Amino acid sequence: MLRILLINDTAKKVGRLKAALTEAGFEVIDESGLTIDLPARVETVRPDVILIDTESPSRDVMEQVVLVSRDQPRPIVMFTDEHDPGVMRQAIKSGVSAYIVEGIHAQRLQPILDVAMARFESDQALRAQLLARDQQLAERKRIELAKGLLMKMKDCNEEEAYTLMRRQAMSRQQKLIQVAEQIIAMSELLG
Amino acid sequence: MSDSSVGPLAWVNGSDAPEKSVINLGFMALSDCASVVVAATQGFAQPYGLTINLKRQASWATLRDKLVSGELDVAHSLYGLIYAVHLGIGGVAPSDMAVLMGLNQNGQSLNLSHGLQQLGVTSPEALDRQAHQTRAKLTFAQTFPTGTHAMWLYYWLASQGIHPLQDVDSVVVPPPQMVAHLQAGRIDGFCVGEPWAASAVQQDLGFTLATSQSIWPDHPEKVLGCTRVFVEQYPNTARALVMAILEASRFIEQNPENRRSTAQLLSAPEYLDAPLPCIEPRFLGDYADGLGNRWQDPHALRFHGNGEVNLPYLSDGMWFMTQFRRWGLLREDPDYLAVARQVQQLDIYREAATAVGVAAWGKEMRSSQLLDGKVWDGSDPAGYARSFKLHALSDSTALLARR
Repeated sequence: MLRILLINDTAKKVGRLKAALTEAGFEVIDESGLTIDLPARVETVRPDVILIDTESPSRDVMEQVVLVSRDQPRPIVMFTDEHDPGVMRQAIKSGVSAYIVEGIHAQRLQPILDVAMARFESDQALRAQLLARDQQLAERKRIELAKGLLMKMKDCNEEEAYTLMRRQAMSRQQKLIQVAEQIIAMSELLG
Repeated sequence: MSDSSVGPLAWVNGSDAPEKSVINLGFMALSDCASVVVAATQGFAQPYGLTINLKRQASWATLRDKLVSGELDVAHSLYGLIYAVHLGIGGVAPSDMAVLMGLNQNGQSLNLSHGLQQLGVTSPEALDRQAHQTRAKLTFAQTFPTGTHAMWLYYWLASQGIHPLQDVDSVVVPPPQMVAHLQAGRIDGFCVGEPWAASAVQQDLGFTLATSQSIWPDHPEKVLGCTRVFVEQYPNTARALVMAILEASRFIEQNPENRRSTAQLLSAPEYLDAPLPCIEPRFLGDYADGLGNRWQDPHALRFHGNGEVNLPYLSDGMWFMTQFRRWGLLREDPDYLAVARQVQQLDIYREAATAVGVAAWGKEMRSSQLLDGKVWDGSDPAGYARSFKLHALSDSTALLARR
């Protein structure tokens, strides 16, 4: 029977995942200890499969585990495209990263990943937010317009106008387009 | 997808529109991501028909996986990470990679704990004694096994006679957790990028024993990395990106006001999410080590230096391969020069630099002297990799496992 180490160090709720995997007959060890102890825990627990949230900072610690174990009897490798491209792509989409002891067949992993992918909360809201923040190429025209207005107002050249706008934007932790919109709005107000 | 029959100079004749206009750019929350953040948010890309969407990543491993899978187009990357993927060292299968330009030089630090300070370990000599005479091994953290911080840490320790894989324990800790682990005494020191080293000093939880620029003045650090496939499919996009980021880099260094407002921008929640006092001083070269010394660093973090920072020198890329070899991460000598030629995109860089009026020197190599007195000029990489007194060449790779 495969032993699964479930690394629990992000906001994603692994409680239900653990229950589901246990129900499916796997031995699951829930690891919520310190990241720095992860290599030692992997050595003690000797899991066949390690599951971790793709967005966990501890993935860099797992990278060390992979490199350190490469000459050991049970080398741990990342589950990648090489094993099964289809499964891998699905896993990336749902935010699960898996590490396995080299030699474990992809088919044996499939049911585990199926459960993991179904149970990991996919952050739809966050994705939508990221899309909304994507910039539009139309911004360029607005920035040009604001630059022109500023050149008139401040009687300065193009480069000076850009620098003034950018400095203002950066000091207020804004994007250039935001400052451009403010200049346009202000100029309309003062008409 | 690209039409290779068009030839590399087609863009000069007018067909230079980016093949892909919306770019997903991955970055890590570190002060040295400044030029990509400024390029993306301050209107440097739009004139070239590009929109850069910034995607902050939680780990280098995930940044790498997304780069290889195409979810990210390009990324602010550790120099060594790009070469590790190209050479197949680490979690993923080898993938042909590319370095489009250097993003910054200098600006990383090696800090020791308050505990060591109280024991009087505030100099390299004292650390050497402590590492060799105490029974319990000291533990040092870095950020990624094939990353730049691991290489600076190993190089510095070895230059002081301390074997980084035998005399001390080396562990990986995510940068935001460094200070807490140092405070709790789980690690004795770390090598990390800013603002994390300055943050430890600020909170009086440790001191800076050495800066990375004291190891190698104007050393390579982060690069704009992508897959080889990306460069081949979207050469105009790659060139336009380099142009936009070159202009942003030049802008940051134009005057101190620009630098200061860049630091302000970086401290925002969506970028570093860190207090300005941890970012700004070292960003302006104003260093305090936590031992009462304060200085204006002549080799502080820099992004442009009239293009000196940005040229993807072959010798810079090769250096990381020599250190992988030295520490047993590479089992045999690669064809150093041939690999560097594949990875470093000198042609694209030169076209971009020329187009925006940045000096694009004909040089492919540069010569530097490191703190142990050794000169690296790219001329004999295999010999250089073998020339160090302390190393982990040949069978000693298992030493990495000692933890």
